[in-house]
Amino acid sequence: MNRLFRRGRAPLIAATLLLGGGLAHATGDVQRGADVFATECAECHSVKAGHDKKGPSLFAVLGRKAASNPDFAYSDAMRQSGLTWTEDRLTAYIGAPRKTVPGGKMKYDGLSDAAQLTDLLAFLAAQH
Amino acid sequence: MSHTSHSRGRGAGVRLRLLAALTLPLLAAFARDALAVPSFARQTGQDCVACHVGGFGPQLTPYGVKFKLGGFTDSDGKDNKIPLSAMAVGGLTHTAKAQEEAPTDRTGTNNNLVLDQASIFLAGRASEYIGAFMQGTYTGADNKFAMDNADARAVRTLELDGTDLTFGLSLHNTPGMQDPFNTLPVWRFPYVGSSVAPGPAAAPIFDGGLEQHVTGLSAYTFADEHFYAELGSYRSLSPAALDSLGLGRDSYPGKLGSSTSYWRVAFFDDLKKSAFSLGAFGFNAALDPSGDGSSNSDHYRDLGLDAHYQFLGTREHIGTLNASYIREHQGLDASAAAGNADSANGRLNELNLNASYTYDQTWGLTLGRFMIQGSRDAALYADSANGSPDSAGWVLQTDWTPWGKEGSWGSPWANLRVGLQYTAYDRFDGARHNYDGAGHDASDNNTIYAFIWTSF
Repeated sequence: MNRLFRRGRAPLIAATLLLGGGLAHATGDVQRGADVFATECAECHSVKAGHDKKGPSLFAVLGRKAASNPDFAYSDAMRQSGLTWTEDRLTAYIGAPRKTVPGGKMKYDGLSDAAQLTDLLAFLAAQH
Repeated sequence: MSHTSHSRGRGAGVRLRLLAALTLPLLAAFARDALAVPSFARQTGQDCVACHVGGFGPQLTPYGVKFKLGGFTDSDGKDNKIPLSAMAVGGLTHTAKAQEEAPTDRTGTNNNLVLDQASIFLAGRASEYIGAFMQGTYTGADNKFAMDNADARAVRTLELDGTDLTFGLSLHNTPGMQDPFNTLPVWRFPYVGSSVAPGPAAAPIFDGGLEQHVTGLSAYTFADEHFYAELGSYRSLSPAALDSLGLGRDSYPGKLGSSTSYWRVAFFDDLKKSAFSLGAFGFNAALDPSGDGSSNSDHYRDLGLDAHYQFLGTREHIGTLNASYIREHQGLDASAAAGNADSANGRLNELNLNASYTYDQTWGLTLGRFMIQGSRDAALYADSANGSPDSAGWVLQTDWTPWGKEGSWGSPWANLRVGLQYTAYDRFDGARHNYDGAGHDASDNNTIYAFIWTSF
């Protein structure tokens, strides 16, 4: 498990969120989101800047344009999606990747639990 | 791998030519097929822990299962990856009492410090639809290099109404090695073992009896990431082919009949926080020991059930359960006619259970139980004083795997596992006490194996 996700780091992450202002997802729990990330996402994604795995790094993903990492080999569908990863867009994509970006290559069925999605977004918002 | 295991190989050597199909399993012993292929990590951009529980092969996570069923072709989209890896495992083997004879000319009767195997792999994707892993292995105990496991695949995945449907072909050289779960003999616990420890003589033919000595082609499908089905057939390699692969003419098991078949069905569910599978399989083989049709054939019909469960959670605490049961019906017409079996009809059952806990993808503890039971036959099981193939025991292993995780030193090139394994027998080749008529007890073969396993 990534050290970043350990429970002891939650207050630090939360403080960062508060100080950062504005980017935090208001209702999500960052620590629970870290656990969701570890369970659902961490095999293929890192939140370390510049650390791509099978999927691109999700460091500072909120507000980023889709397919904007020049070092990552995106699918044509993702490149042509024209998306910007707002909270709503990211929520929709994580919830149903194949519907949001048909032809994309992320092999993930989607996260249907609304509470987990909210927590995950809070965690991702903290990664900047 | 078969030729690393002198435990069964040594025990089988006496009657190797008498019952090839039964003695080849002896070569498999408990030196299981060690496998760790960092070139796959480099190809996919993944950390080792993505595919392997504890960050070191071969126990697969759900992601690893899907990677294998996808024909080893998944990648991070970047080209120019070199599909080469290497691996070495060695250790100190101590048995409760010294063995009667040294396992090989290069070893002693006890406390052997041995390079159990050093392998090179050609492992990776050739195209979007074709991938392979091929392993060549040097065994230090007998100073030999030979072809080890090989599996080449062609796979295509279609999406129908949002559902993935994978079709694949696998060309391989060991029955069962193509399976994606760690329940069947080739990839089950213990995942590594001493090449110079004693081991039980008997095992079903599907448990290593033909490994690396055949060519198999199977077709499989994986539907909706849940339903797995496979059908295949096998042909023998000729003595000349075995010789050229470094396996030796003397290891020729005989000629497989054209009706030799393998089938497999399983249900798999990846729930992210956990995963499980339930399955069944069958292997039917007719083996002509003469190889030229001049004798009858021995017939084997193996039926198996298997299941596994993994609690994965956030991957900080991982627990796994694996179980398999194989029931073998034997029709030993050729062996009985040659006087190598008293009866033409026999059976052999094999049960394997194990449970593991892994903390922080680093510290592992596994306990396994194995049981082999079968019908008595004094000629067939000549090493047993009462003609029984029965053996049973426990394997306890603890290990430390410091790397293979995100941010690990040298990732994904540097991989290391250090472990301590203890095997305790409560029955060995038919009895707890004096199993061979020479005063040896099952517990005399209790083994401590301290190993270092690395790959890059």
